[in-house]
Amino acid sequence: MSFLNIDSVKDRTFDAIVIGSGISGGWAAKELTGKGLRTLVLERGRDVKHITDYPTTMMQPWEFQHLGQLTKEMREANPIASRCYAFREDATHFFIKDNEHPYVQEKPFDWIRGYQVGGKSLMWARGTQRWSDFDFEGPARDGFAVDWPIRYADLAPWYSYVEKFAGISGNKDGIATLPDGEFLPPHEQSCVEKHFTDEMARHYNGTRPIIIGRCAHLTKPQPIHYQQGRAQCQNRSLCQRGCPYGGYFSSNSSTLPWAAKTGKMTLRPDSVVHSIIFDDRKNKATGVRVIDAHTKEMKEYYARIIFVNAACLNSNLVLLNSKSNRFPTGLGNDNGLLGKYVAFHNFRTTISAEHEGFQDTTTEGIRPNSSYIPRFRNVYKQETDFLRGYAAGFGSSRMTSVDTSAMGENLKSSLMQPKYGNWRVSSHMMGETIPKESNYVTLDSSLTDAWGIPQLKISVAYDDNDEKMIRDFHEQMSEMLTVAGFKNIETHDKPDKAPGLDIHEMGGVRMGKDPKTSMLNKWNQLHTCKNVFVTDGACMTSTSTQNPSLTFMAITARAADHAVKEMRKGLL
Amino acid sequence: MQRRSAVKNLAMALGGLASLPAWASGWTPDSIGHFSSLSLDEEALLGEIVGTIIPETTTPGAKSLKVHQFAMRMIRDCLGEPAQLLLTQGLTQADSLAQQTYTKVFTDCDAPQRMDVLSKMAISTDPTGKPFVDMIKKLTIQGYMNSEYYLVNVEKFTMAPGFYHGCVPVPKLAADGSR
Repeated sequence: MSFLNIDSVKDRTFDAIVIGSGISGGWAAKELTGKGLRTLVLERGRDVKHITDYPTTMMQPWEFQHLGQLTKEMREANPIASRCYAFREDATHFFIKDNEHPYVQEKPFDWIRGYQVGGKSLMWARGTQRWSDFDFEGPARDGFAVDWPIRYADLAPWYSYVEKFAGISGNKDGIATLPDGEFLPPHEQSCVEKHFTDEMARHYNGTRPIIIGRCAHLTKPQPIHYQQGRAQCQNRSLCQRGCPYGGYFSSNSSTLPWAAKTGKMTLRPDSVVHSIIFDDRKNKATGVRVIDAHTKEMKEYYARIIFVNAACLNSNLVLLNSKSNRFPTGLGNDNGLLGKYVAFHNFRTTISAEHEGFQDTTTEGIRPNSSYIPRFRNVYKQETDFLRGYAAGFGSSRMTSVDTSAMGENLKSSLMQPKYGNWRVSSHMMGETIPKESNYVTLDSSLTDAWGIPQLKISVAYDDNDEKMIRDFHEQMSEMLTVAGFKNIETHDKPDKAPGLDIHEMGGVRMGKDPKTSMLNKWNQLHTCKNVFVTDGACMTSTSTQNPSLTFMAITARAADHAVKEMRKGLL
Repeated sequence: MQRRSAVKNLAMALGGLASLPAWASGWTPDSIGHFSSLSLDEEALLGEIVGTIIPETTTPGAKSLKVHQFAMRMIRDCLGEPAQLLLTQGLTQADSLAQQTYTKVFTDCDAPQRMDVLSKMAISTDPTGKPFVDMIKKLTIQGYMNSEYYLVNVEKFTMAPGFYHGCVPVPKLAADGSR
């Protein structure tokens, strides 16, 4: 009966299982296989191989039927995904379609997802700022959520570790709120951005630095990057299509192929995780229940340790759905906090302005990055009537316009001669939101998805703190732009823009010191199920104002290191 | 061709990238394919209209760049039913206005006559004339300015290798405010 061996328990047993192949799952896969663990990586979506599976990446702009625009049919069928800036004709294939993956919006929430190998690491915006102790000490200082169980010093070496491998460009700016890292050469600021930087330094005595953004682009590849098969960023800024050069960091171009090279990784796409198996007798998790995305057949896979990296809200979903006699309301959920204290980044508002100077200059080429305004509000002391603060992106371009009033040859000749207008700048706010118990996700009691898994019910909203912060951003940025000589300053708030489009959702399985008030310990282990690690956005205790992805990477590498050490000691 | 050699050079330099799939160099503008939401006569008429808005001179105009096909595609796929109706009504109106004014169909008119017909439509107050001309003119400009011809020759677009200079003098041609 040899067929029994083909699918025997032994063949479905690994040293480690990683749920999810996105930005943090890729790092879990790389670290665990790199330390010799036979690792199963589960991905609910289809396989996407680096280069081979980027069908639009070499298409010229004129080769798109609709020049990048969405068709009416696509827009109407996907009202949620269509609100995402990157869901355009060249990249719709990397986003889930609304009707295939329903969820319940108890309050409006635009949940943007990429179900495929590499997850959202294929389409992310690549901002990679370190967090600082102003972030890790924030909850304790300002009295919200719970204290982080770690500080910057715990993470600093791991930031360095992941930065060197991923390739992060940036400038050593010496800013307290934004620790410097292991940087490749920075991108250049435009003359108007430099002007803004200089004016801010002068007017605010160095308390409001404006820098070039730090981002995951190989501006000058190092040997470690060539070893990954990656090459220099070509400044195409077509990243959401997948990059054939590996010019930006993605799981597909970097961590997953590296993990595969060890021979220790088994990657299983089309594997929808149903739940984690908890063995009451052994008092630990023993594996994962997986539903085949196509056949809907359920299989179990086993391992000594499990890394949950399904992306914040789906990691919450998997844990909530992992019910056992020991944990009737979800794995590790003795305190009832699982799914609660979800927070995000407030991206609701932007501001734009023009500068009438610098008429004899312009920019040339494309930069896959922008300038960045680190948090300057409430840093050293509480200055406002809201908690925490905001960072902001800041970009510039020289406007050009053509006169289209005529028809015929006159029109044609004016199209050949675009006129230069003023420099235009714009800035988008990235506000820290406060994790609150009332912002939560849970499982719907009756609705299920196509795989029979309960639908996630999301109840997340802005609060008064966010509204006050938006007003402050408008006031402070207007003042700053005025000081620097900008004109036509316009604020653009979209009060009906739901949370979610920031794609920076965090929390629900927060870290903390006390099992009564948190789900995970300082090593990202569930307090009450130590062989399960959660290292994606779900683990975050608070949200900082910086982009979170780099921190997910560093936390994952650190947790994987700890996991393997504990395993080797026989403790897991 | 530049981008292909750039990819090839890179591939040779790296080895690891030497096996780019066939599609990486297989695209042509024609690969989009041709379709029509109009009859052959209507399509030809639309071609003459976009060619009137941006004519052939020593350089290609909108018609030879097949901008009318782009316009049809955008109207059908992105703008929807009301725009499709406006398109067919506008084409009918262009022909009947040409008949009234010059006793021949639009395509038989000479260039000044065609321009005259479109100009009359553009200032008319009926529900078709101006909205039709506005829509087609906007799509013609959009299609022309995003055509391979325009992007490569006027915008000097190359996909890769790219670069960024944050502060360069505006080109000399711009002395009068244009480049």
